[in-house]
Amino acid sequence: METILFLSPTESGSPLSKSALEALATTKQLADSLGTTFSVGLWGDAPKADDIASCGADKFYAVTGAEFSQPRYATDAAAAEALCRAAGATIVVGPSGSRWNRIQAGVAHRLGGRADSHVTGLSVSDGSPAIARWYYRQRMEGILTRAQRPWVLAVESGIAPAWQGAPGTAAVEAVACTPPAARSNVTGIEALTADQQTIRPDADLLFVTGAGWTKKQPDGQVKTEEAQKLILAFLGLSRASLGSTKSLVDLSGEGQATLTFLTHMNQVGQTGSTPRHAKGLSTCCHGEEPHTVGWRFIGERRAISLDANCGWARGKADVLYVADAFAVMEKVNDLLAKKAGG
Amino acid sequence: MDADIVCVGFGPASGGFLTTLSRAIINEDGSTAIESPSVPGLPLQVICYERSDDLGFGVSGVVTKARGLRESFPDLDSAEIPMATPVTDEKILYLLDPVGASRRPLLMRAADVAIRAAGGILGVKDDAMQLPWTPDFLNKHGGMILSMGQFSQWVGQQVMGSGAAQIWPGSPVGEAIVEDGGVAGVRLVDQGVTKDGKPSDGFMPGMEVRAALTVVADGPVGPIGQQLDKAFGIPDGHHTHDWALGMKFVVDLPESCELKPGTVLHTLGYPEPEIFGFFYVHPNRVASMGIFVPSWFDSPARTAYRYLQHWMQHPAIWRHIKGGRLRSWGAKTLQESGRRGEPRLAGKGYARIGEGSGSTNVLTNSGVDEAWTTGVMLAEGVLEILKNKQPFTADNLEAAYVNRRRKSWVEKEGRIAEHGRDGFQRGIIPGMIGMMVAGLTKGFVSMPGKPMPPHRRVPTLEEYYRGRISPEEIQAIRKESDSKGISANAALMERAGWPAIPFDGELLVSHQDALLIGGKVQAPAGYADHVEFLYPSDCESCGSKICIEMCSGQAIYPGENGRPAFDREKCVHCGACLWNCGKGNPKDSERGLIEFHAGAGGLHSAEN
Amino acid sequence: MPEYQIVVCGSVVPDPLQTLEPVAGPTGPALKNEMMLPAWLDPWAGHALYEAANLAAKNPGSKVWLVALGPKAKLQQSMMTLAQKVPFELIALDGSASGFTDAAETAAALAEAIQAIPGLDRSKLLVFGGWESASRGAGATMQIVGEILGITDQFQGVDGIEADGSLRILERIEGGRHQVSVCDAPPALLGWATGNLPEPRNNPQVGMANMRAIMPALQKAKPAKIGAEGVTFQSVSLPKQARDTKVVKDVPPDQIAAEIVDWITNK
Repeated sequence: METILFLSPTESGSPLSKSALEALATTKQLADSLGTTFSVGLWGDAPKADDIASCGADKFYAVTGAEFSQPRYATDAAAAEALCRAAGATIVVGPSGSRWNRIQAGVAHRLGGRADSHVTGLSVSDGSPAIARWYYRQRMEGILTRAQRPWVLAVESGIAPAWQGAPGTAAVEAVACTPPAARSNVTGIEALTADQQTIRPDADLLFVTGAGWTKKQPDGQVKTEEAQKLILAFLGLSRASLGSTKSLVDLSGEGQATLTFLTHMNQVGQTGSTPRHAKGLSTCCHGEEPHTVGWRFIGERRAISLDANCGWARGKADVLYVADAFAVMEKVNDLLAKKAGG
Repeated sequence: MDADIVCVGFGPASGGFLTTLSRAIINEDGSTAIESPSVPGLPLQVICYERSDDLGFGVSGVVTKARGLRESFPDLDSAEIPMATPVTDEKILYLLDPVGASRRPLLMRAADVAIRAAGGILGVKDDAMQLPWTPDFLNKHGGMILSMGQFSQWVGQQVMGSGAAQIWPGSPVGEAIVEDGGVAGVRLVDQGVTKDGKPSDGFMPGMEVRAALTVVADGPVGPIGQQLDKAFGIPDGHHTHDWALGMKFVVDLPESCELKPGTVLHTLGYPEPEIFGFFYVHPNRVASMGIFVPSWFDSPARTAYRYLQHWMQHPAIWRHIKGGRLRSWGAKTLQESGRRGEPRLAGKGYARIGEGSGSTNVLTNSGVDEAWTTGVMLAEGVLEILKNKQPFTADNLEAAYVNRRRKSWVEKEGRIAEHGRDGFQRGIIPGMIGMMVAGLTKGFVSMPGKPMPPHRRVPTLEEYYRGRISPEEIQAIRKESDSKGISANAALMERAGWPAIPFDGELLVSHQDALLIGGKVQAPAGYADHVEFLYPSDCESCGSKICIEMCSGQAIYPGENGRPAFDREKCVHCGACLWNCGKGNPKDSERGLIEFHAGAGGLHSAEN
Repeated sequence: MPEYQIVVCGSVVPDPLQTLEPVAGPTGPALKNEMMLPAWLDPWAGHALYEAANLAAKNPGSKVWLVALGPKAKLQQSMMTLAQKVPFELIALDGSASGFTDAAETAAALAEAIQAIPGLDRSKLLVFGGWESASRGAGATMQIVGEILGITDQFQGVDGIEADGSLRILERIEGGRHQVSVCDAPPALLGWATGNLPEPRNNPQVGMANMRAIMPALQKAKPAKIGAEGVTFQSVSLPKQARDTKVVKDVPPDQIAAEIVDWITNK
């Protein structure tokens, strides 16, 4: 019989994040499928379990202390390790995110177990849990089981709807954890300024710019400045997340005439991120990764390309508009501006 | 920097050279057998520079008799080399024209009618007739089918594993250091420069590598070979007027394909009579297949990619591949003048090997084995010179290398082949007859024909399509394609009766998609453009624009005022632009208006 | 000025530009024609290496090691290109770098190789690597290496480091932001995202200098047995990618724009 633990860090004064609630729902589903119960482990300066008191967990554990408020390896790993040991967990489920992903495999190592991250599916076959995850930059999906325990998982957002339920009063068992001497301290957050565009997971739409924007256009001219204006105007109006192809990001790194606002943070596919958005609009991306790898987790996909036979949009986008993206985006901006004005 | 021997380009010739040399530099116990004169105390310092991103990128699938290879590797087991397999079956197919757009001479049309009429007796199937026998000079029985990419990687691993030679990929050699009537080493290309070669961010001038011997093995369109031809001239009566472009696909064959590994198909007759096809079956349901488009096919719209798609749709080919999938694609120029294109093989401080040294046998259509063997012969000569503690003078290299070569089978067979293809200068039928006669009489008899530099043969589009497409319509098509910045061949060929390509995303993909399949074409930043239009204003009046039409990657496209422009990111370094020019160079009657320099990048796959 | 001993861990992966397909191999899943695919140092490990070289160059007396794991033939292939870019001393591990192996086994082999480096001084030690690999993409290996080496100052998704004795480190977190941490002193472990350095150019002189040590290191490559004990793959498959793409042609931009605006504003 598996002993299942849902584990999550908490942020000072904030409720559990959406991704944590999704992971909680996943944990609950797993426990139900295995015909067992689960417990909850939280850590932070003042972890609050009351919000999820009615989630069905049979036990709540917490490591509490000001030292555990910082998202840093030494203290987070120590807290997580203590919680796993207290619960005697054989399966640990945590939400993907920078904080859990930073420590998850290290914690598994301390417990003598094994870790799997970026889990995109959790099922039960022949009475054992099996996970789905992607290999080779989201190019192929594997489904696997493991003999080793504890098995420490980081589940991706979006695989189950966030748990919802009435708050209550949770009986929390405090778990002792002596914080290790801290040699590192988090001193702040650097955010991009408002006019800088990046991949924002909260946006509904991912707008992908391809290298075509900086290439010679049908009239023989390079129109980088116009491209820049059109894209920024669109982002301003649509509040879309901005992704880019590797080649375009590389070009900007090489100091070539290109879109000045792009950095590696915008890159999708290959060595970039694999963002999850409900919709994706790809422009001037012939043959670029967004059509293939980077698009894997985008719900509805549309593309604007001049090449009707583009094999990289066909079969990968729902709609391919064979048109000049400069002309189309100009009109799109007009319409969006009108809507905003009206 | 100093080295003892510097080698330009890594292909079969330098593979043979380095394999033979490296075995003699270090003893089996790891001790030095030949000490370096330039860095005393170390073994002989041998460095090979290869321009592409890795060894074996952008070379081709071949069938070879593998005589020279087996001499170097007597225990060679083809199973050690991915995609290699012994030849098991060899056939020649004559392809009839199933679409009616092929430009066949009258005599051929008549023969086609007769063949179709007697189809039952002749065994015509799928619009193709198998020739009853393969002439001895063409057959490759006992040979091997190889992927040159995989073979090159394998050889590279053997050489580098020995620790006796270094092979540096991603390192284009910009020029040979020509001094005192000889070669004193090489200079790598500059980095951190603009497209036109001017220093910019992170400028790093190309490093000079001085060496007692420079081995030039940079292939048929290699810039160092060309530089030496210009610097030292080529022997009287020799020329490099004949060329071909080989373009091929690597295809995953469908389950339904019954062809066995080791099968070799040669085709002739279609899509145009001048275009020959090949189909080699590797192990694990993979095939290399493609066509050769020769310089004596006098069409200014001789685009290999489009013709390759028509060829593969011929029923006799399509039945084997239908349901399969394109895995990678590539193209390469072949030097088709053979022995007659031989440059000065050696001089003070340098020697030339491989295809660029005229080793290809144009009668047997064989080049890899010959190139390899020239490398082996040079290595043997070099070892002899080193053993005798002699300098690499022209005389010593002549005695130790060139003499070896003159006595070799490569030379003997190259001479038989020398005039074997002259007949093609007059047309496909005299060409075929000439080749047969030369082959069967071992070169005693051949069909006469005078090879001309390609730019003197290329007709204008109006001349080529006379009677088929009016000049006005050609101008309209040209204008439209110019305005879109694309080549005109698709529109022209469709107007001339070729059906549109039914793209299926599997085997039939757009030209641009092919550039992205099986390892996208790469163009690292910071290098100068390696294709240079010498007199762009002269290009405006060109009636063929064949450089645009023939470009394997659509990297040359119509720019301002109809002048060709170059996009390095699409270039596969096939070198076709070097010999596909419709204009003569005002300063050199042998050459066109395009200079092909050394450049980094290109195809990014070793499955070719 | 501080001196650093920077050990970069990296596996060899198939060139990310290649078409990859899974096949069932004798010991579990593998890639079709794996040994034929061009190999390259994992792109994130590559960034880590360039950052290491940059840091070492700024702090004279520092040194960079690269502990590289991959099949020997593939290591050699990738090292010839890499060696031209930045100076480093190679420690080669001849073993599987497949994405289907277990991060814990990879980490154990890497940590063992690091522990065997003579003269390592923990007070100068920075262990670098990619935050994830392009093969397994787990982000687990470096954490475990750190655990085995007893380094609990670990940073993942690193995009920048400033080092003047203490270390100021930028880590990628949610929302396109960076978390800033200060670590008092080495040892520390950094799993790099992309950083901000362009790929260094091929410099033949750097190559020649590296080569003297790289060839012997390759010849001495230690076999590393790496698998995925305890893992059973039920399946590995390519996603069903094909969507039924509607191609909209010969429609004026106004109409396309209207359709797109409808689509993006319609929740």
